[in-house]
Amino acid sequence: MSDLKEEEIRVFVDAVTHYFAQLTTDRPQVRGAYLGAGDVRPPSLGFSGLIPISGGFQGSVYVSAPRAMLRHLLVAAQESSQSDENLLDLVGEVANTIAGNARRFFGERMEIAVPVTIAGHADTIRPRCRTRPYIITVEWKGYTAQLVVDIDRKE
Amino acid sequence: MKLLIVDDSNVIRQRIARTVADPRLPAIEVVGMARNGVAAIAMFNLHKPQLVTMDLTMPEMDGVQCTERLTSIDPAAMILVVSALSDKATAIKALQKGARGFLYKPFTDEQLITALLELVS
Repeated sequence: MSDLKEEEIRVFVDAVTHYFAQLTTDRPQVRGAYLGAGDVRPPSLGFSGLIPISGGFQGSVYVSAPRAMLRHLLVAAQESSQSDENLLDLVGEVANTIAGNARRFFGERMEIAVPVTIAGHADTIRPRCRTRPYIITVEWKGYTAQLVVDIDRKE
Repeated sequence: MKLLIVDDSNVIRQRIARTVADPRLPAIEVVGMARNGVAAIAMFNLHKPQLVTMDLTMPEMDGVQCTERLTSIDPAAMILVVSALSDKATAIKALQKGARGFLYKPFTDEQLITALLELVS
């Protein structure tokens, strides 16, 4: 299995940058790297959202973010309720939006399921699809979130 | 004008409900908020809204199926799809099923207001 191509990674970097810029007008700092083969667990920063991918592709798009960052994003969206339910809802929506935007490049054969959201440690996340998923670190207003791109075309 | 908001995200539903109170829009009354297509059809039959905002990726019944069902009930319904699915084929499919407009997530309040104004004018 080959690594993700540069233009495929760019799709996700652009999507996450666009998300923050649209909602808050502040562009995040974004950097990427391949997750090491020994890192068996996905990052777990407090609240996580996973979008299972199917159709002509397999794998998932996964976002994990800390509570404080999500609360700040809710304020930006003028949402007054900062309940855990809304924090989970938001992290799922972020993951859904980034995965959905990626279809501009990958097309409708990349089928996207509804978000699976997790508070706390993401121990229930299914095994990875790729040997080396790509992890994008997003820094915004002093907070750090992580986006894991673990998708591959089906043979 | 009566509006039904259909989206599986509570944060998005509430945001749309707040934004439609903007004075540049004609008076819009939010008559229902549904988290999936099945609930949307029940609310549509109950409240008979003229305007619907419709997410596409939802549990139980997706937004394309729901759009088709709603326009079969009322062909005059004005349905604005509000979705992250950014491929052309999906937008075309939603329009073929009866949607009148398409707004990509993530959206700003201004973009939502503009899309709704285009729809109702």
